Amino acid sequence: MRSTETRSGPRRLSLVAAVWVVARTFASAQPAGAQDSAAQPATPAAAPGIRWEKSFTTIPSGRWTGHRLGDGQPDIQGDWSNSIANHDNFTDPQGGTPGDPVRRKRALGPRAERAPSRVSDPADGQVPFQPWARAKQQEFAAGLWNATRQEYIEPLARCAPAGIPKSFMWHGYEIRQFPQAVVFLFNSGTRIIHLDGKPHLPQNIKLWNGDSRGHWEGNTLVVDVTNSNSKARFARTGEFASENVHIRERYIFDNAGKRFDYEATFTDPTVYTQPWTVTIPNRRYVAGDPQDGWHYEVPLANSPGKELIADHVERPCVENNGPFGQVAVPKKAAP
Amino acid sequence: MACLLLSPVLFASGAEAADRIARQNGKPDFSGIWQTTSAADFDLEPHSTRKDAPPSAGIVVGNVIPYLPAALGQKQRNFAVRDSQDPRLKCWTLGTPRGVYYPEPFQILQRAQDLTLVFEFGHSVRTINTNGTQHPAEKHQFWLGDSRGHWDGDTLVVDVTDFEDETWLDRAGNFHSEDMHVVERWKLLDANTIDYRATIEDPNVFSRPWDIEVLLYRHREKDFQLIENYCFTLDYDKYYPVPAAQ
Repeated sequence: MRSTETRSGPRRLSLVAAVWVVARTFASAQPAGAQDSAAQPATPAAAPGIRWEKSFTTIPSGRWTGHRLGDGQPDIQGDWSNSIANHDNFTDPQGGTPGDPVRRKRALGPRAERAPSRVSDPADGQVPFQPWARAKQQEFAAGLWNATRQEYIEPLARCAPAGIPKSFMWHGYEIRQFPQAVVFLFNSGTRIIHLDGKPHLPQNIKLWNGDSRGHWEGNTLVVDVTNSNSKARFARTGEFASENVHIRERYIFDNAGKRFDYEATFTDPTVYTQPWTVTIPNRRYVAGDPQDGWHYEVPLANSPGKELIADHVERPCVENNGPFGQVAVPKKAAP
Repeated sequence: MACLLLSPVLFASGAEAADRIARQNGKPDFSGIWQTTSAADFDLEPHSTRKDAPPSAGIVVGNVIPYLPAALGQKQRNFAVRDSQDPRLKCWTLGTPRGVYYPEPFQILQRAQDLTLVFEFGHSVRTINTNGTQHPAEKHQFWLGDSRGHWDGDTLVVDVTDFEDETWLDRAGNFHSEDMHVVERWKLLDANTIDYRATIEDPNVFSRPWDIEVLLYRHREKDFQLIENYCFTLDYDKYYPVPAAQ
């Protein structure tokens, strides 16, 4: 028999904890990630806590002078996490969720004291929604803490892939590189970015993470994304796209290999009045860095040598979802 | 004179070059998208045709899975409710070795330090470590187990432990406990065929270790790729219509 204790062992990933909410009544449903908000002010003395930057310097596109892999790609493999905030709020990343019933320990100060909007273009920091789409986004935002409809529960809370761009705001993640692909192993979902130049899938195929084609330009991985099912929300503030969205991503790596900027331009004439760009700064984590339960949850491998080796464990979600899982398959009698 | 120093590869015919097993870091390169043509997932053991399975000679060496008596009873109960209780029906992670012979493609992406297996079904990801690391010191329950591999010549040998007990081995209700231990042997027979063998032992369920053998074939269709199949989202897909202008 499995016990609760072993279920929540140190190598179980934290998304598990966020998923049980779905079976609760809608009125009291608490979407995934609520624990993250609560965890921010409470920093255990022995742990580094979840650190967020209030500002960052963008990285220019240019030559790559850092280490290269055998196939010539810039070597950017390893563990990464965004440096400013989780997915609580898209345009005021450190402003918390709108209508959060949990009282803050400190009142929010002036907007200028917090990290800038993730929307870097247009300059007002807002997604240029058409009026109907703005109204829908605000409806989603209002429903977050008053989930009277199923669609107000963000899909991620049900273990759906976080999608684009939310995957970059939801826990740390790993990048693995191969001659034919760059692979992102997110906390919820996996993206394979094909480098071999094959055409996109037929447009009647729609996917949570879309269909990605990439190539390198100096220090920048340039990715073209189509085929999105656009069911994932960008953040808990409810921003969204439609199935017509075309996303052009630029992953701009600094030559020291410590940071990169994620920039993605969203074009969707059925939802927005103009194309707009999201910018998310990211930093690298390496084996031996303290685990903080959010950015870096990677254990050290059991290695006979002295070198510290990061061990990458599976990232299940739906299987560990209390009301969906566990009791859904009757326990087998002990043989 | 320079041409005499060129590798013989350049002089091989196109057909021979295509059949040659690629190598990476001195080891066979398993990179590619693979799938069984067998009916193993329907039932590992030999079986006649039935409503929910084509006939098959199975992939169990010796034909019979050596269940302990009480465990055989559990297997038979699982079989009776297979049309509702197979974890695959919920799109749960298939487990090891089931993901390998499940009839849906999986991709192997290989580096010196590991092999990444991405299964189209559920888009789950298994890492086979080949970096000299060992199983975790403490016991864990992983849906795909903990995989530590090493090379025995050109054969990749993978020791897999630390399992969940909720995965099934096939649609027929063959099962295991948390104490299952799987030793896989992956070998390329040619550029497009993997000879996959696994020894399965579990003192809570089987009276002795037993073996499976199955071939995996490379997908060679032009522009073939995995199409992410997060099938566990289908049950709530209806709650998320893409917003559109009224």
